[in-house]
Amino acid sequence: MATKTDTSISRRSFLKWSGAATAAAVAGGQAPVLHSLAYTGEKSAGSEPEYHFSACGMCLNKCGLVARVENGIVTKLDPNPKFLKSRGMLCARGNAGTSQLYDPDRLKYPLLRKGERGEGRWQRLSWDQALDLAAEKLTKIGEEYTRCGVLFTPGSDMQSQFVHWFAEVFGSYNVTTHESNCLLSRNRAYLDTFGEVPFADVLHSKYIIMAGANRFESIITPDSIDLMTAMKKGCKLVVLDPRFTKTAALAHEWFPIRPGTDMSFFLAITHVIIHEKLYDEKYAQEKLYGLDKLTEHVKKYSPEWAAKVCDIPAKDIRRIAQELAAAAPAAMIYPGRRTSDYVNSTQIRRAMAIANALLGNWDKPGGLLAARMVGTTGPELPEAPFYDDNPDDRLDHGSAHIMFDEEGSFKHTRDAIIAGKPYPVKGWFTYKINPLQSVANRRKTLEMIDKLDFMLTVDIAMSDTAWMADLVLPAPSYLERQDPAAGLQGSSACACVVTRDPVVPALFESKPVFWILRELAGRMGLEEYFSFTMEEYREQQLRKLPDSERALREDGVYYNPSKLYGIYEGKIYKTKSQKIELYNERYAEMGLDPMPVCKPLRENVPSDRFRMVVGRNAYFTHCTTQNNTLLNELMPENTLWIHPNPAKKLGIRDGDAVVLSSKSGEGELKAELKKGIREDTVYMASGFGVLSEGLTNVFGKGACMAEILEDFTDELSGNMAMHETIVKVARKGAS
Amino acid sequence: MKTQLAMVIDSSSCIDCKACMVSCKVENKVPGGYWRNWVKQREPRFGKIPGAKDPAAQAEGCRTWIIQAPDFDKVKGYGDPGSMHFQPGGCMHCANPACVQACPTGATYKDEKDGTVRLNDKLCIGCGCCIPACPYGARYRHPEKKIVDKCDFCAKRRERGELPACVITCPTKARTFGNINDPESDVARLVKENKTVRVVNEETDTEPNMYYVLTTAPMNWPRKAESPTPIRWWASLAKPLVWAVVGLNALGVLVMFGKQLIIKDEETEK
Repeated sequence: MATKTDTSISRRSFLKWSGAATAAAVAGGQAPVLHSLAYTGEKSAGSEPEYHFSACGMCLNKCGLVARVENGIVTKLDPNPKFLKSRGMLCARGNAGTSQLYDPDRLKYPLLRKGERGEGRWQRLSWDQALDLAAEKLTKIGEEYTRCGVLFTPGSDMQSQFVHWFAEVFGSYNVTTHESNCLLSRNRAYLDTFGEVPFADVLHSKYIIMAGANRFESIITPDSIDLMTAMKKGCKLVVLDPRFTKTAALAHEWFPIRPGTDMSFFLAITHVIIHEKLYDEKYAQEKLYGLDKLTEHVKKYSPEWAAKVCDIPAKDIRRIAQELAAAAPAAMIYPGRRTSDYVNSTQIRRAMAIANALLGNWDKPGGLLAARMVGTTGPELPEAPFYDDNPDDRLDHGSAHIMFDEEGSFKHTRDAIIAGKPYPVKGWFTYKINPLQSVANRRKTLEMIDKLDFMLTVDIAMSDTAWMADLVLPAPSYLERQDPAAGLQGSSACACVVTRDPVVPALFESKPVFWILRELAGRMGLEEYFSFTMEEYREQQLRKLPDSERALREDGVYYNPSKLYGIYEGKIYKTKSQKIELYNERYAEMGLDPMPVCKPLRENVPSDRFRMVVGRNAYFTHCTTQNNTLLNELMPENTLWIHPNPAKKLGIRDGDAVVLSSKSGEGELKAELKKGIREDTVYMASGFGVLSEGLTNVFGKGACMAEILEDFTDELSGNMAMHETIVKVARKGAS
Repeated sequence: MKTQLAMVIDSSSCIDCKACMVSCKVENKVPGGYWRNWVKQREPRFGKIPGAKDPAAQAEGCRTWIIQAPDFDKVKGYGDPGSMHFQPGGCMHCANPACVQACPTGATYKDEKDGTVRLNDKLCIGCGCCIPACPYGARYRHPEKKIVDKCDFCAKRRERGELPACVITCPTKARTFGNINDPESDVARLVKENKTVRVVNEETDTEPNMYYVLTTAPMNWPRKAESPTPIRWWASLAKPLVWAVVGLNALGVLVMFGKQLIIKDEETEK
């Protein structure tokens, strides 16, 4: 069975989905204008556009899309209306995919650094020269410093699994992903409570508390769309956030919580639910572990106590607890995603998970759902070779209490590379990830790069990370390549599979990372591990889904009608007690707080300083799409959100240039006076203040988040803690 | 009944993601710095709303916050003016379009077939009279084509049977599109089932075909339609003449001449 899916669609079937609109007489259209290409030809009269299915690659959601191709040019990306996970939508970033494809700033051929790092002097290489060089350098580091002397950092991409596989056959355990900068603390907390990381059934929920999440701006499908649908059906949304996000704007209630004190709020919620007996006692007896201990534990955490900690009135906390419990089990504390905020983030999220447990919402409509069966299978790959000179563990082993071995911690890995201990790492392979912009404490990342003998970056554009590399290899965009299949969890919307085939051929000399790795493997005597084609790989992935090939071809997506609710009926939880753990025995054994204990903030905000928080908007995917011409227009530079009251004290007016500084570094950007932020907090968007002159739209604009943020980490998971930085703000020129 | 294409917008669904704007920009090749459509926003009114009612809340040392009212002020039938909301818009394809009246060449016209306000590229001399005539700011002068450009409800897409780019891409489906005169259409149903308003300037009601569902209080932003009197007079006189000239194919020369004038003007300005 071949799994290459011809994704071109007949015009008739496309029209059928796009909804019959009234046809009308029109004037002639004009030829596509593509400033990046030498295309000047007029459209030949009467040529029909072609339509191709694909999956968006502008962020991690992989929304189904239909690409329109006219005369070999992708002229428009529209949502695949049959794609349930995204509810048939494409956001601003998805629509701007053409601008990534035809970006004049794209990397066009392999580049070798000639000058000092960051100087921007490059020599064009042929692919053979580049691959020979890379293979030679990686082999040399492997021989000199063991195979673990090379760190691999793949981003979130459908081909990243091949970087993991390459690292494995090359012989390095040192692989860090974006996850230790993102959601590890949430994963830790929910794994250690329910035994599994849940998906939120937002659509069927009647009451949602969202803390540390901004779902209307940080779009996650289907949650963001389902949240609006649920609200239209009467679901109540309560948002706790130090700033007035668009999610806060659309919520029923917004509380500008004191940053870092969410645990107190949720312990008080738990206090009310337990002491007013608002939980289902039968459910608690059957499913929960440690309720007696929790009851005792939260006695002191009354709403009156919490109000003083988190700045939310006691009577509101009590009322919200009562409303939440009344809506249970179709009620939830939204688990969130990026939880890289505080040194105790895992315990903060544990407090939320415990409150969820008391709502009895696990595995139920409107609650927290277990992963559904998608049905894709891992391909059968040969056994990776064993290198007996390798060290015993990862570089960052043991640097946090309960780390995820497969994810590691970027921060701890970086510290270890700088220290050269426990062993030296001298090579770095990055793929579509931008730690120079996204990881707190940029100066340390630069220091780490200084320790390296060889750094190789594969990316689409000259990111700041590519800018610092020795060898930069151009990758094609998601619209130009063949990808593996990807199984997706879509909460109550679906469990589905998507894949990609090239909508148009790859531009310039760009090559997919799969091809690059296979070529490298061939040059390093590892060809037997990369002897498969993408078709064969995909065929293996889909071997247990006989209908998937047809569905992917005809609909651009395959749905597995797997069980959604009641997956845990008659089953045990994957925890030590085999129940939902309010009290975590394993934590107790390790000397950790078995239940979340509210402790003072690591550092209080002095009256002349601010806590810096970061967060998403709907236009940018972390630090990657700011230079996209279409999206850049929506936000050409980042600003510092500051409340008018402290701004007045500092003599800062709206639009003034301000200098923002911390113990890590400093940056200059414009102030934006906002009443919708706490007086003790400032905020800035990510992805500006770039080092790379290869990002022509953003170079010289705004300040870099990674430069300002100090690199604290969550003590339990090793996840980055990005809201622990206290900053000074001054008007530029003011002493 | 005649077809009248229209849009019904539920602003309370809009999350201000700007997908509609980017989708439109790509589809219609709108140049950087210009837009055919938009999302406006009402700034929130921050205050101690619950605190004011409940001094005890302040006694706990709580800071400023707002609580938004989900139950809008039913008396007036408008949404809470204190809450923030996002209001998508674009050309309203008015029934009484001031831009059509302001156009001296007849380039801007009301399409009889579907009720859209259209622009004939070949007739537009780029004089820009229609720009201030639109109370909604829905028109701009295209910097390269040197003619005016605006939303045509994605005529080319509709010709292929596709929905307008802004409608199909919207995550929360805040924009609904169809023939308002067809009682079976989604737009007609929405207007029938909901209280809706049309946002107009008090002095110049152009009878827009964009309806806002009254779940939010629409912002009052349209300006007065401005059409210079001489232009209006000239337009009324010139229009029949212009149409007659079309048949004679002499207009091309006229248009070229006109365009050159405009281009030259702009160059001298630089």
